[in-house]
Parts: sequence; C-alpha cells; structure tokens
Amino acid sequence: MIAEMSHLPIILIAVPILMAALMLFLRSNEGVQKGLNITVSFVMMALSFVLLWQVWNGGIQVYEVGEWGKYGIILVADLLSSGMVVLSSLVSFLALLYSLDYIEGKSLNSSYHSLFNLLVAGLNGTFLTGDIFNMFVFFEILLLSSCALVVANEKGGVTKSSDKMEATFKYLVLNMIGSIVMLIAVASLYATVGTLNMADLSVKISAMSAAGTLPWHIFAIALLFIVVFGNKAAIFPMHYWLPDVHPTAPSPISAMLSGVMIKVGAYGMLRVFFLIFRDALFLFQPIIIFLALATIIIGAVSAVGQKDVKRLLAYSSVSQIGYVFLGIGFGTVHALAAALVFLVNHAIAKSMLFLTSGGIIHHAGTRDMTKMGGMIKTTPVMSVAFLIGAMSIAGLPPMGGFIAKFVLFDAGLLAEYYIPIAIALFFAVFTLFYMFRAWLLMFWGEIRDVEKYGEYSSHKSSYMITIPIITLAALAFIFGIYAEPLIALSQAIAEQLIDPQPYIDAVMTRVVR
Amino acid sequence: MTTIITKTITKVCIPLVILFSISLLLAGHNNPGGGFIGGVMFASVIALMYVVFGLKYVKTFFNPDWAKWFGFGLTLASLTAFAAMFFGHNFFRSAVEFVHLPLFGEIELVSAGLFDIGVYFVVIGSLLFIFKNVGDDNE
Repeated sequence: MIAEMSHLPIILIAVPILMAALMLFLRSNEGVQKGLNITVSFVMMALSFVLLWQVWNGGIQVYEVGEWGKYGIILVADLLSSGMVVLSSLVSFLALLYSLDYIEGKSLNSSYHSLFNLLVAGLNGTFLTGDIFNMFVFFEILLLSSCALVVANEKGGVTKSSDKMEATFKYLVLNMIGSIVMLIAVASLYATVGTLNMADLSVKISAMSAAGTLPWHIFAIALLFIVVFGNKAAIFPMHYWLPDVHPTAPSPISAMLSGVMIKVGAYGMLRVFFLIFRDALFLFQPIIIFLALATIIIGAVSAVGQKDVKRLLAYSSVSQIGYVFLGIGFGTVHALAAALVFLVNHAIAKSMLFLTSGGIIHHAGTRDMTKMGGMIKTTPVMSVAFLIGAMSIAGLPPMGGFIAKFVLFDAGLLAEYYIPIAIALFFAVFTLFYMFRAWLLMFWGEIRDVEKYGEYSSHKSSYMITIPIITLAALAFIFGIYAEPLIALSQAIAEQLIDPQPYIDAVMTRVVR
Repeated sequence: MTTIITKTITKVCIPLVILFSISLLLAGHNNPGGGFIGGVMFASVIALMYVVFGLKYVKTFFNPDWAKWFGFGLTLASLTAFAAMFFGHNFFRSAVEFVHLPLFGEIELVSAGLFDIGVYFVVIGSLLFIFKNVGDDNE
C-alpha cells in the first residue's frame, strides 16, 4: 500500500490525461461519461488530501518520472504544491458537479469532459513539477484546454457566440505572447546556468551570487518571469484580458479560471522567486509591491462602475489578486503566510460567487444587474450564498475574507510597509461598496417576476447546482470562524518557502540509476 | 488543384509517404524520427489527398473518425506509461528486450516504441480532425 502511495504525484497528473482520452470514446454514452468523470474527480480530490497529509507528516516527496534521477523530469510535492493541488482538485470537483446540469447537453458530451480533465491535469502538473521547462509545458496544456472550455455553451444561451469568440481570441493571443516570453526566459536561464531543474538552478545561481559572478541578464530573466506570471495572474499592465474572458466563459469555467487559474500565476511567482531567484529577490520586491498596488487600485475602481454581474466579479478578481501579490512582495514569513491565506479564501469565495452568479443568470436570463431586482423572494439560496461571498470578499468579520485581510495587513504593519497598507486598506473599502451594490441591485428592491416582465426563465436550480454553492459557502464560513488550521498550514508553507534548503536537499540527493 | 498531374503524383505519393512515416515511427526511439514526425508526415499526405481529390469525394470511400484515432493514441501512450507502475517501477520507466526472429534477425523491442505509436496516433488524429472540420463547411 505504501509503495502505491509514493506514486501519488504522477497519478494526480496522469489519471486525468487518461480520462481525457477515455471520454472521447464515451461520447455517445452521456450517462457513463458523467458518472465516470464525477467519480474519478472525487477520487482525485480524496487522493490530493492524502498527498497533503503525507507531505505534512513525512516531509517533501520527490518522484522521478522514468527514474532518470535529477537529470530527468522530477515531480516535487512540498507543502505549497500539495496544498495548491488540494485547492484546485476541490474547486474542480465542485465545478464539474455544477457543470453537469449547467452546461448545455451538446457541448457537454462532445468535448467538455475531455477538456476539463486536461485542464485538471495541467493545473496539477503545474503545481507538482520540479522542472521549469515542464512547467512551461503544463502552462500550455492549461492555456489551450481552458481556451476551448471558454467557448462551451451554457443552457439558455445568455452569452452570444461572437462575444465568446472575441474573448477567446484575446485570451489565446495574449497568453501565447506570455508563453513565448516564458519560453525565452526558460531558454535564457538554460543558456546561462545549464540546467532546468529548479532546485539545481537555485543551487547554481546561489553559488554564482556568492562568488560574485552572477551575470546581469539573470535580472532580465527574472523580470521576464514577472511578465509571464503577471500575465497569468492578470497583474496591472497585463490585466485587460481577464474582464473579457472570465465573464464570457460559462459559470463553472469562470469559477475555475478565477478560483484556480489566476492563482497559478501567484504560485509560479512564489516558486520561481523564492527558490530560483532568492538572492536577487530584494531587487524585485518594490516592483512587485508597486504592481500589486496598481492592480488593487485599477481593479477596485473599474469594478465600481460595472453593470454586468460577472464582469464585476472579474474586476473584483483583478483587485483581489493584487492583495495576494502584495503579500508576496512584502516577502516576510508572515506576509507570505497571509498571502496564502488570502489566496485560499479568495479562491473559495470567488469560485462560489461565480457559481452563484451562474445560478442567478440562469434564473434571470440576463447578466445585466440593472434588469434584476427583488430576487431574494424567488431565489433565497442564491441570495444567501451571494451575501456570504460578498461578505467574504469585502472582508467582513464572520467570513474567511476578514481573517485573510486581517493577517495580511497585520503582516504588512509588522514589516513596516505603512504606505502600501494604507493604500490597500483604502481600496478595500471600495470592495465593500461594489459587492454590496451588486447584492442590493440584484436581490432587493422591486420584484421583477416572470409573470410581469417575462424575463425570468423557468429553469429551477437543481441539487447539482446548489450543492457546490452550499459546500463552498460553508467553507468560506468555516475558514472565518475556525481559521487556525489554515493559518498554521500557511505558516508552515511560508517557512518552507523562505528556507528552500529542505526542498533542494530532497531533490539533489537523488541517485541516478 | 484537380489537374491530372497532381492527381497522379498524389496517388503515387500516398503509399510511399505512409510507408516512410511508419519507418520513421519505428526508428524513432533511438534514431532520428519518432512518433511526432511520423504522425505529421502521415497527416500531411492525407491532407494532400483531401486537397487534391476534394473532401466530399474522399469521404465517400474513406471517412474515419479522427477524434477516435486521437483518443486511441492518448490511451495507448498513457497506458504504456502506467504499465511501468505494475512492474514496480516509476511511471514512464521504459523496458528493452532483444528478440531473435528467424527471418528478420535481431529485433529490439522497446516499450518506448509503444509510447511513440501512441504519439503517432495522437498527432494524426488531432491534425486531421482539425483539418477535416475546418475544411468541412456544410455541417
């Protein structure tokens, strides 16, 4: 049993790929497809928890694909990777459950399941790989599968196909440019240092730095990586694709994109800057803080004026990922732990909000909030869920978002970054404003009913739609009132990030067959 | 594109190119070549056939579901990689076996070759699936 468990990192990547292939053969058999995919997704979620538990108890796990030692591709599951895998498997399981009812039948059984599995494989691969070029490959898998998923149709057809095409085109082109930049960065890193293994890179760059022979273009490469991960995470100058793509995607995919995909950028930032470029990090901290603040400001100000509910949530995502990067920019143990707490809470709350907005759109038949009103009577579950999400994103006390913002600002004050904290705090008030404005517009006021206006659809939300929303809402609530385990885990992750020696030791002591 | 010259040349090319693509595929695991190159070559000659004879005409006698080829290839490739786990090794570990056959002499059987065959089908399936769907505008 123990021997099988050591294969967990690759199982989490390879089984979704195998499933993607099997789903193509089951296209004619809708029921089997749904049942098999949801079962496998559930098992994957359970296995990801097992992996986190193993890493928590037994230390960093290294898996050599093909047994080539440190010269081949290795997968490394440390606390950060396995924690992110748990987050992504949880959100993807719930999003998949939701999409079984939400996505239109024809889209669903033709390619949705295969692409969704590839997306999961890409996410898990990005988090678990210990090789920088392999990370690039998984980024591509992520990009292409999510691109195709954005086009999938939802029931009711709220979003026009032409809008979807426009958004997908922007997404594809901008992220392809990001991929090219990443390829250039990886190639230059390889040309300079001569290895692609992240632990090996870290050792060699540290040695160069200690000997004073660090070539200047290492800094240029690090800047390229800021562009790459900033593009994935939608940081200020590269944020403009996100508010087009996230709203046009069907809601479960929006939840995946906003909940997990933009966190891939934050993960890459943590991995690359705190492992590979840790000696050059002090130079980039002011840049990251500046970009994070600009992102917070632009996202918050843009979100205030939105009429489209999903567009508002997308701008809110831009603003909130700025807080995560703020924590990364501060760079202390507390700030990193706070950034991770924030990341988890935002992932839970924002994916819940996107799923809820899907239910609301389903009911109202439009994405325009000014055409909705009084829905607290007709969809009480959605209104409570949206309220919990809005409170969590705005950072009101009983919810997880409050704890997240509190520890982040506390860490910033401890590290004596007073002005950035003041700016971030000021724009946190904007969050409160735009989230509650949306809630009031949609749920309070004059009731606009299907009898009177003929606007609301008769499609009732089924259990497939409400169960994921309730689960995520409960999690957002639990992380607010019982936050200690999450904070303890984040603290442990942050300590591992600040001192990467155990990671390097675990990888570099491998013997070649 | 339907001149008699292109048609004749295409007819000659198809078997030659397919055989060459298979030889590239089989050479792939330790010589120049491989599943990807072989697959692209196979896909290109089928694409040439589609262009020269017209998609509608070709469909009357040769109309495989390329998505199935893709699925088969991906299944084969991932199962090959999984197989190593059942022998107590890590994922993707390959195995080599030398076999003596009466007429062919010594033959090298490599599990990486099986993976290459999977790649071959994935490349053929995906390229031709896209090519056929983009070209097929009546549906």
